[in-house]
Amino acid sequence: MRSLRGAIGPALIFLAGAGLFAAAGRLPVVPVPGQLGPDFWPRLILIGLMASCVLKILEVARGREGRREPTALLPLSRPKLAGGMALVLGYPALAPLLGFPLTTFFFLLAFMRLAGMRRPLPLLATTLLGTVALLYVFVKVVYLPLPKGAGVMEDFTIFLYRLLRIF
Amino acid sequence: MWETLANLAAGLAASLEPLNFLMILAGLAIGIVAGALPGITMLNSIVLVLPFTYLMGIVPSLLLMTSIYIGGVFGGSITGILFNIPGDPMNVPTTWEGYQLNKKGQVRLALGMAIMASAIGGFLSALILTFASPPFAKVALTFSTVEYFAVVVLGLASVVVIGQVSVAGALMSLFAGMFLGTVGTEAQYGITRFAFGIKFLETGIDFVTVLIGLFAIGEVLDQLSGSKAGAGGDAAAPSTSRARLPSPRQLWALRGSLVRGLGTGVVIGAIPGAGATVASFVSYGLEKQVSKEPERFGTGVLEGLTASETSVNASTGGAMIPLLTLGIPGSGATAVMMGAFLLHGVQPGPLLFAQSPHEVYTIFVGMLLANLVMIVMGLLAARSFAQLMKVPEPILAAFIITFCFIGAYALRNDMADVWLTMLFGILGFFMRRYNLPIPPLILGVILGPLAEQYFLTSMVSHGNDLTVFLTRPVSAAVLLTSAGLLLWPALKGWLARREAVRV
Repeated sequence: MRSLRGAIGPALIFLAGAGLFAAAGRLPVVPVPGQLGPDFWPRLILIGLMASCVLKILEVARGREGRREPTALLPLSRPKLAGGMALVLGYPALAPLLGFPLTTFFFLLAFMRLAGMRRPLPLLATTLLGTVALLYVFVKVVYLPLPKGAGVMEDFTIFLYRLLRIF
Repeated sequence: MWETLANLAAGLAASLEPLNFLMILAGLAIGIVAGALPGITMLNSIVLVLPFTYLMGIVPSLLLMTSIYIGGVFGGSITGILFNIPGDPMNVPTTWEGYQLNKKGQVRLALGMAIMASAIGGFLSALILTFASPPFAKVALTFSTVEYFAVVVLGLASVVVIGQVSVAGALMSLFAGMFLGTVGTEAQYGITRFAFGIKFLETGIDFVTVLIGLFAIGEVLDQLSGSKAGAGGDAAAPSTSRARLPSPRQLWALRGSLVRGLGTGVVIGAIPGAGATVASFVSYGLEKQVSKEPERFGTGVLEGLTASETSVNASTGGAMIPLLTLGIPGSGATAVMMGAFLLHGVQPGPLLFAQSPHEVYTIFVGMLLANLVMIVMGLLAARSFAQLMKVPEPILAAFIITFCFIGAYALRNDMADVWLTMLFGILGFFMRRYNLPIPPLILGVILGPLAEQYFLTSMVSHGNDLTVFLTRPVSAAVLLTSAGLLLWPALKGWLARREAVRV
């Protein structure tokens, strides 16, 4: 059963490879005599990808998966993982709306709390000082046009930048 | 020869300019700290300083990165010796012997020897790089796209084979990376491939987003989810963390280990895909083989520590050879440095020596200086590491992701790159979890487009005649080596099975 589970990933990648192989055939190619088309190289790679998936499936089926890394065998905390992924994806989702400073403040606060920092005072102080330090370095020194937010949040970010004398 | 010396003198003057020298110091400090902290690798720290390099010119940027590289490969040995916590897998052999020396009460000597061996290995490999690269670049100038294609194939083959648990898994990872490299507008016909109507994919996937995501964010998620073992181990608090440099007599007694470590490090470092980790294990194994008392290894043997530590830092000079002379990065660290070159409008390769000798020789001298300065920095770092190890992991993890956000955004001031980075981060987590190696994917993204370009140009130049790769001697030799590398695991397995049947 375990070996079957190990073959699901390579099988899915094989199917994706087959789909992309078909998609490569639909590229709007205008053939130039004596030249290989733009679909040649990706198709060659996708054949390699599918062949390596077959090899992996055979390896799994024969029980020759090789030595597994110890980290891959240790149990994981699903709530922490789900929370971490949500934060990692929420960060770029919210930054264009709320602006980099506010999103970063909330992100740092939430991520450090999730990662196990419990005492509120050091948590808040680290978040606040960290956000301000990042703004000084990347807005004032590096002149990086980090997202300011949309609508009223843009005004808020500009107000914050002026307050910190970095704008 | 005189021209090289004159270039080196100019490089020395440039390296000693305040900003450049400051970058060497800062790079070494960042590298040593990052290399020592479990969870932050030397590669992560090179990636994380990328956004800062936009502020600087090419020379300070590259001095900063090469110094992080040099400091980073060494840093993990300090915590390995003091706490039995190697900062990186490459520091594991040093830890085997160094921590045992610590337990025997010889911690000061172990630290001092590690510092000296690293400095000697790094300095001599930088010297070899300085004098071997220009003639090699001249030879490389005679290469056509046929030879370049063969060299890229060798890089791809070696990353699949060397140090991998499963060749099939490494091949899957490599081809997936090479496929990602085909996304976007291709050069020959100007046709957009695999963008599926998504605007930002039309310009292709920047390998830096893949690199930052897979390495930095994937690692943070892996640690956050608790799948990484605690870093405590059976660490004992050392009585002292001050290092004592070995005397010239002690160094002379270890000259064999130093020379073997240097040779192994430079050669393995120059092979694309191999790098410092392979070098350290190979040199440790070699040292055990030549030792008259191999059974003592693992109980605190200075020869083992010296050889592995010398080879780790010697690999830095070796790894720079293919990057600077052929424009082909053979490791994650040199790939990021190639990114820095390109960001500043400089193309690494054989023409670099003719077009930008000032930059090249400043980097050479910078590497030589960094290895000397590392002796002082190493001594200082050894004193203060007990405190440094107390930085809470939640703070490190959260700020790493924020730096990744900024680094990805700074590529093109586009949130799409940040999205890609975060998505590759999640992919990186699953790759770790399902035991799929990450370096082949990274090198596939970087070397894949180069391989396509060289292959198609060769085909156009030689009328689609595939035999051209086998009729030109350099190309044929390199491709045969690649085929040998790829077939070796299967051959080894077949031989082992045959032997088992016989017994």
